[in-house]
Amino acid sequence: MEFLSLNILIFAPLIVAGIILSPLFPNDKIIVRRFAKGFSGILFIYSILFLLFFDPYNTDYQFKENIKFFSDTNWIEPLGISLGFGLDGISIMLVVLATFLVMLALIVSKKSITTKHKLYYSLILALTTAILGMVTARDLFLFFLFWELELIPMYFLILIWGTGKKEYSAMKFVLYTFFGSLFMLGSILLLNYFHVLNTGISTFSIEALTYSRHYEIPFLFESLIFLGFFIAFAVKLPIVPLHTWLPNAHVDAPTPVSMLLAGILLKMGGYGLIRFNIQMFPEMIKVFAPMLIISGVINIIYAALVALAQKDLKLLIAYSSVSHMGFVLLGLGALNSIGITGAMFQMIAHGLISAGLFLIVGVIYFRTKTRVFSHLGGLGQVMPKAFYFTILLAFASLGLPLLIGFAAEVMIFYGAFTSNSLDGFVLSNQLMTALAAISIVITAAYLLWVLQKVFMGNMFEKWQKVQDITPHETIALTFLSIPIVLFGLYPEGVTSLFLPFVDSLVSYFTL
Amino acid sequence: MDFLLDIKTAMLPEAILSLTILMCTVLCFMLKQQIQKVIYIISLLGLVISLFSISLLAANKVFTAFYNSFSSDFFSVLMRFLILAGTLLVIVMTKDYSFTFKNRQGEFYLLILIAALGALLLAGSNDLIMIFIALETLSLCSYALSGFLKKDKSSNEAALKYLIFGGAASALMLYGFSFLYGITGLTNLTEIFSYLANNSGGTMLNLTLFTVISGFLFKVAAFPFHSWAPDVYEGAPVPVAAFLSTVSKIAGFAALVKLMGLAFNNIEIISITLGLIALLSITAGNFMALNQMNIKRLMAYSSISQTGFVLIGFALLSYMGISGAVFYLISYLIANLGAWLAIIIFNDQTSKNLISDLNGIAYNNPYFATCFGLCLLSLAGIPVTIGFMAKFYLFHAIVQMGPAYLWLLIFALLNTILSLFYYLKVIKAMFVCGQESINSKLVFNGGVLNTSFIALAVLVVILGILVTPFINIARYSALSVKLPIKQIEIFK
Repeated sequence: MEFLSLNILIFAPLIVAGIILSPLFPNDKIIVRRFAKGFSGILFIYSILFLLFFDPYNTDYQFKENIKFFSDTNWIEPLGISLGFGLDGISIMLVVLATFLVMLALIVSKKSITTKHKLYYSLILALTTAILGMVTARDLFLFFLFWELELIPMYFLILIWGTGKKEYSAMKFVLYTFFGSLFMLGSILLLNYFHVLNTGISTFSIEALTYSRHYEIPFLFESLIFLGFFIAFAVKLPIVPLHTWLPNAHVDAPTPVSMLLAGILLKMGGYGLIRFNIQMFPEMIKVFAPMLIISGVINIIYAALVALAQKDLKLLIAYSSVSHMGFVLLGLGALNSIGITGAMFQMIAHGLISAGLFLIVGVIYFRTKTRVFSHLGGLGQVMPKAFYFTILLAFASLGLPLLIGFAAEVMIFYGAFTSNSLDGFVLSNQLMTALAAISIVITAAYLLWVLQKVFMGNMFEKWQKVQDITPHETIALTFLSIPIVLFGLYPEGVTSLFLPFVDSLVSYFTL
Repeated sequence: MDFLLDIKTAMLPEAILSLTILMCTVLCFMLKQQIQKVIYIISLLGLVISLFSISLLAANKVFTAFYNSFSSDFFSVLMRFLILAGTLLVIVMTKDYSFTFKNRQGEFYLLILIAALGALLLAGSNDLIMIFIALETLSLCSYALSGFLKKDKSSNEAALKYLIFGGAASALMLYGFSFLYGITGLTNLTEIFSYLANNSGGTMLNLTLFTVISGFLFKVAAFPFHSWAPDVYEGAPVPVAAFLSTVSKIAGFAALVKLMGLAFNNIEIISITLGLIALLSITAGNFMALNQMNIKRLMAYSSISQTGFVLIGFALLSYMGISGAVFYLISYLIANLGAWLAIIIFNDQTSKNLISDLNGIAYNNPYFATCFGLCLLSLAGIPVTIGFMAKFYLFHAIVQMGPAYLWLLIFALLNTILSLFYYLKVIKAMFVCGQESINSKLVFNGGVLNTSFIALAVLVVILGILVTPFINIARYSALSVKLPIKQIEIFK
């Protein structure tokens, strides 16, 4: 497995971005696009190879790498910061999901991106590096670095190629994420402080701070550290009072960027919750489990109700994203193996479904220049292919059996219902699960309503000439549909990858 | 011959710079206006040679000169290196700018070099009298330099304002020195330290410290003494503004470090006061920068807030803190000089100064916009730049002081969000606004200005990755500073 190097996987997109941006590269949009697309395809295949050689029963980091500068051991020796990457059960799926969605986003960029091609494709590839680095970082500092690094390409992508109030949205996105990340920085530094205080060694290594913490951090500070991480991920996930950046950013971003934002960037919040809040603080998570479950249920119900009231197609999908991320919180709050597995699975399911739905919205918007339902209608007559794919995606999203969304929701509900993480609290797990289950009806209501409003019924005269989806979009949607059906039928294909890891995670806080 | 030996071991760069100054003085009178560019080349050469001569100084030992009134330790060697490098770049900046000075070009370089000499002496001074003389050498030249555009109203205003504020601050500091002399009967800092270590200074020492420190806070434009900065930066010639915001500040900080050792029996008071001043500087600078339209004024307020970050390192009164401040100063020097280079390149070609004049410049000249953007991102503390590492290292130093300093961390963190607003405003102007109507045409040739600009922008990124040697240097230099430390630190 010598040829499988995480360094190549992570930094190759950045290097290719540099190549595309350099003045020597031809300034022809077709060459630029095909080059970027071809590279993202190769990157996806390369990441699949990691999947093939991955050993799910080894719960440690695999494919470990460590880059060193001026030192024998670490990147920044005085502080004990290492430039180390590694893959384990929860990061491998996100790596593959990221490269997959980047590939699809680049495939559908043909229509929606009309200016400044070189800059666009290099920013998307730089964003890929930031995402892959974030998921595979074995060092807290490194994770934070990539977390911040991701802001710059995203800011420009929304600002330059966006629509509507793009300046406001881009700024809001950056400031919210930056605000959250500062809490995380405080937590990282405090964690390091207590490690230095107790062991005399300065380190930011995730492994050292997770598995070899044999000292007690005072309860006040441990909860502060926990909450610092939680706020950062709550902004990203997003959790309801901190979610207001999401509708703006999603609506004003161009279609491929919305796909990436919903498909992979929101998952960073869930990944962070598992990696840091659950894995690093098994004692604290038991204290704060009610907070996770309650905010999860609020997310699910509130965002679904808000989605029901939307008139804009993209806003509706954005709020349904918020609602679906609530399921992740509910599953994590269950604190049992099946709940956390369900949460992981929901992240993957939602990544595929929401990317598809945003693509459909982009397709409709590109052709009709409107996203308001009342101006649309009967599009199924002129866009049959788009209609079929939308049916599939919408049904997967509302949890139709044998599609991927159903498998995820069943696991989460089962986990949350059988969990006893709320013991000793005024509410019971069963009650909260029942409350969350109400949302299934609401979700079905708004999604079916959208299908009916947009694709069925009578058609306006002006939409007679609307074209069906192009081959590029068909390919992207087909690629998205395959795993949605496949893993809906056979969820074990995905869950078996991270189940052993989740089991070992749960063994730390067996209730 | 001791005198010459002292100069060889401790003051080589100063000696070379003095010779350059003498040579320039003579040339200034001899050369006609058309060939005064020679002075530019000679001052560059002099600075380069004295930069090289710094490496001849033994950094691991302490050497003194002039009966202990000047001492050259690792910290002062590092600071003098930064001062010389900064001055070198400031002189490079004047290449296309100096035609505005007409027949007074020679004088300009003379004044800059003398100011740099003052800064060098300040960084190594070890005696109250030496500190004062060096500070006045630096200040008097700075007053003259900021009013160098004789016919320009705002330049005159800048000089007068700076002179009045500076005179008051110097008087305040001198007043403090007189108390210090009254308490101890000594002027040499090393002797004063050992006196204070054995005798309590009494309450009078508190007052003394505050007055002395305020003199330097003026020099570095920290919060209560910051109000001169925006007007002076706006009115003064651009290279002078760059000089004041980098070299002059570094010299001020270098001298301030030397006085930190005086806080023997008042550690808490000094620490909390400096912490508050630091926070207020950051906050005030950030809030006032938010609505600026003029890029020079924006840089002035941003430099006030950056000063606050360096002062945080001082407020901790720990080796970690000082090393954080030193590393922050290095990053600030690189990024800030880069930003000023961008401003002067832009100003040379368009004579415009508003942020809105930069609209859409990225599509006219992507290299300029990218490099300027990198410098600004470094000032804002976004990875992967040296500014991000410097901020992280500084915050790390705060946290290592324990929970008592968490308030400092929280406010500093919140302020980094604020600063993002106005740095992003400039970046947004360059990359997004006015893509259709490009206001300013900018030529980007391979001249020395552009080359050094690109080099600085590349350094911002490269040093953001290869950061270990610089942290080590900052740590060694901090260890050579005398601090009133009571607690034992973990400091590998």
